[in-house]
Amino acid sequence: DDGIPVGSDEDEGVEVRQKVVQVDPKEQEDFDRELKALLQESLESRKSEVRTRSTLNMKVPMNVLEGSKDQRAGESESGEETMDEEGGNAGGGSKVRVKVLMKKGHKQQTRQMFIPGDCPLVQSTKEQEAAELEE
Amino acid sequence: EEPPGAGAGEDGYDYGKGDFVEHACRYCGIHSPACVARCNVPSCRKWFCNSRGNTSGSHLVNHLVRAKHKEVCLHKDSPLGETILECYNCGCRNVFLLGFISAKAENVVVLLCREPCLNVNALKDMNWDLSQWLPLIDDRCFLSWLVKVPSEQEQLRARQISAQQINKVEELWKTNPDASLEDLEKPGVDDEPQPVVLKYEDAYQYQNVFAPLIKLEADYDKMMKESQSKDSVTVRWDIGLNKKRVAYFVFPKEDNELRLVPGDELRLRYSGGTSHPAWQSVGHVIKLTAQEEVALELRASQGVPVELSHGFSVDFVWKSTSFDRMQGAMKTFAVDETSVSGYIYHHLLGHEVEHQIIRNTLPKRFGAPGLPELNASQVLAVKSVLQKPVSLIQGPPGTGKTVTSAAIVYHMAKQGQGQVLVCAPSNVAVDQLAEKISSTGLKVVRLCAKSREAVSSPVEHLTLHYQVRHLDTSEKSEMHKLQQLKDEQGELSSSDEKKYKALKRATEREILQSADVICCTCVGAGDPRLSNFRFRQVLIDESTQATEPECLIPLVLGVKQVVLVGDHCQLGPVIMCKKAARAGLAQSLFERLVILGVKPFRLQVQYRMHPCLSEFPSNCFYEGTLQNGVTVNERQSTGIDFPWPVPNRPMFFYVQMGVEEISASGTSYLNRTEAANVEKIVTTFLRSGVVPSQIGVITPYEGQRAYIVNYMSRNGSLRQQLYKEIEVASVDSFQGREKDYIILSCVRSNEHQGIGFLNDPRRLNVALTRARYGIVVLGNPKVLSKQPLWNSLLTHYKEHECLVEGPLNNLKQSMVQFQKPKKIYN
Ligand SMILES: [Zn+2]
Ligand SMILES: [Zn+2]
Ligand SMILES: [Zn+2]
Repeated sequence: DDGIPVGSDEDEGVEVRQKVVQVDPKEQEDFDRELKALLQESLESRKSEVRTRSTLNMKVPMNVLEGSKDQRAGESESGEETMDEEGGNAGGGSKVRVKVLMKKGHKQQTRQMFIPGDCPLVQSTKEQEAAELEE
Repeated sequence: EEPPGAGAGEDGYDYGKGDFVEHACRYCGIHSPACVARCNVPSCRKWFCNSRGNTSGSHLVNHLVRAKHKEVCLHKDSPLGETILECYNCGCRNVFLLGFISAKAENVVVLLCREPCLNVNALKDMNWDLSQWLPLIDDRCFLSWLVKVPSEQEQLRARQISAQQINKVEELWKTNPDASLEDLEKPGVDDEPQPVVLKYEDAYQYQNVFAPLIKLEADYDKMMKESQSKDSVTVRWDIGLNKKRVAYFVFPKEDNELRLVPGDELRLRYSGGTSHPAWQSVGHVIKLTAQEEVALELRASQGVPVELSHGFSVDFVWKSTSFDRMQGAMKTFAVDETSVSGYIYHHLLGHEVEHQIIRNTLPKRFGAPGLPELNASQVLAVKSVLQKPVSLIQGPPGTGKTVTSAAIVYHMAKQGQGQVLVCAPSNVAVDQLAEKISSTGLKVVRLCAKSREAVSSPVEHLTLHYQVRHLDTSEKSEMHKLQQLKDEQGELSSSDEKKYKALKRATEREILQSADVICCTCVGAGDPRLSNFRFRQVLIDESTQATEPECLIPLVLGVKQVVLVGDHCQLGPVIMCKKAARAGLAQSLFERLVILGVKPFRLQVQYRMHPCLSEFPSNCFYEGTLQNGVTVNERQSTGIDFPWPVPNRPMFFYVQMGVEEISASGTSYLNRTEAANVEKIVTTFLRSGVVPSQIGVITPYEGQRAYIVNYMSRNGSLRQQLYKEIEVASVDSFQGREKDYIILSCVRSNEHQGIGFLNDPRRLNVALTRARYGIVVLGNPKVLSKQPLWNSLLTHYKEHECLVEGPLNNLKQSMVQFQKPKKIYN
């Protein structure tokens, strides 16, 4: 290798005069119908299932609750990398770090993720916090 | 020699580095881990991206809907790691039912299914906010912060798949889950292949068009070469300097188009008799003599039946290497976004790209040390090329395109952008360029195919294999010792051979890395020894003689600036398979770019032809722009007493009325009268003091070429040896070369069939522009004048009183009537 970085910055400035993508309305209609059918069918199949799932294990584990109040991307304590910026398709503006609660087998675990500040999921917690503050 | 790896090409190299990215979107090829997810249905497990492309829904959603699949797994490098998306509470995996909810107070979110978990009353009492359930799939797309939408750049370089294609391929997957999009467009066995077009949606469409054409050509080539077996061959034995056995034998070239070239592989066989058991060995052609004798360096050194000389057979060993490399380059072009810059990617596919200028500090002078001074148009060419990412330079005959190319390469190398790669389709052109570039003082390495290492080269000292042998440092002494041993014994023990190969590879790498410029053929740029090299700047000479996929091989090594040199008014690449040629494989990339509106920079001063000889080609092929860099005086044949009809005009059209015949092979033509007169003209030249090396006889037909060679050696009135030294060649093989005197035999002379090969204006251009001092054209004006271009050539000769007939020593102006030209293509 001659040590030249591959796919470097110079490449960014390509301006392709692009044709405007036109979605065939017929195709879209057809697709929407199939999507709707799939959704409907999924819902129906679940409804007809017997509801025996009473064992709800939805408690947020304590360790997750510690020190996770509304941290903005970029000011992370551990110096870990923040979301890459160039994507620009996550809604723009600030990003909020959330913890996603998941199950691996029977074990609970969380993974960190960034979501846009204007995401409804964040809005609700913000409102909640604001309400708490007022009390 | 190197063991082929699994699924690897002929020379053990896995073509297309980004070849198979497992997690690439099966629709469009996008493969950044953050943008893709896998369908989790066990029988499917295909990856898709979250871009909409040209459809209303994202590719991932499109697939799930069309295939009625409902489970998804994220990529291991995605924010959530390798995770099957499922309801936190009940484990439901139907993505159409899943959505996020968040905890009321904390920044904690969880996936929950809409039915039933979202409606379970017990949840409401906990700290979850059920009012804001956010579905995974929104507006026909996955949440973009879970599976990212690829950037616009990425989408532009991906396969532009349509909704119809998606539906078709999904349909196909139902019966054949491993089918690819290419399978949709595969032509049937008897179908005409898809023809080439000017613009391609993406590199996948490009590959879909060219891959079948290359396959057709490869199959044809294989079929033709493997049918070339010869029996009862008589062999004479020798030993080369490297102690290898060399067999000499005559491999008569019949009047078909098969051309044996140095580096070709042949198998020499002895089928066994009472005195000697059967034997065979493969070897490389290292030399071809004018008498069509072949020198074959054998791979085997032991057991060669050197005591025998008669009864051998020879077969052609067909190699797929060059075709494999073309296919590999196309694949790399499509799947590896670092293969060429974004600008070049879109430019080559014919997309409209915003103009780009390379901001380079231009040199003060555009010439280069060791090269002749550049003329004005050459200087302008160098200057314009250095500022553009893609440029075309058109070099009409004799306009100094090698010098110009060398000057361009010199300045590129001085810009400090890394090594420059210089290629051409033919070895001869590569050698010439390597020599010129090296004379500027740059460090040049000429990389030859392994099969050609024993073929002598005018730039031997620049070749990699020579430099490896002659690198004189103490650490290399071990390799040299082993080399010596190998030379003496013919082979090494397997452990020594291993050691030797490793040392050699390291040395090759070292030498290649220290070069400023690497020169090789286009196909050679796919050599595994270059697979880890990246070249930002690439110049391809004779690019109009390469097919597009051939041209692509040197480009996909990371090019950001490319210079294509050539002349689309001369002959293009030779395509043997008619089907592939009809579909447009013979059109070069240079030509397509010209048709797309890229204006080539034309070199305008020619230094080859007597001004009288350049007049017609200039007017007819170059809009009259060709200027003469040589004067009449510099091209005067002083002391040559030849009966030119107009003394200051060393050209004439010699009217011939003899008929054409079909040659013995049934595939070519010959014309006895013309051949007899060619011999008379040659003899007259020789008598007048011209030496054989100054004369070239050219003809479009292989049948006539063979006939003239034969006729002259049997009927020439001077010493036979003199005629043997005269080069008789096809017009096509003479492209890029010159002689002082050219005799052109047109052959075609019939009432109704037309003029075949002669119809191509580019062939006429090549034929007329080979001579420096004088040209004689032999042909039938009555037949040729039907074609408009030939009609104007004949008119040109007639107007200058150079259309003549009669015996050579008493030429008279011909009054033959021309026919009305009409457009006939056959
Ligand atoms: Zn699937
Ligand atoms: Zn896709
Ligand atoms: Zn559930």
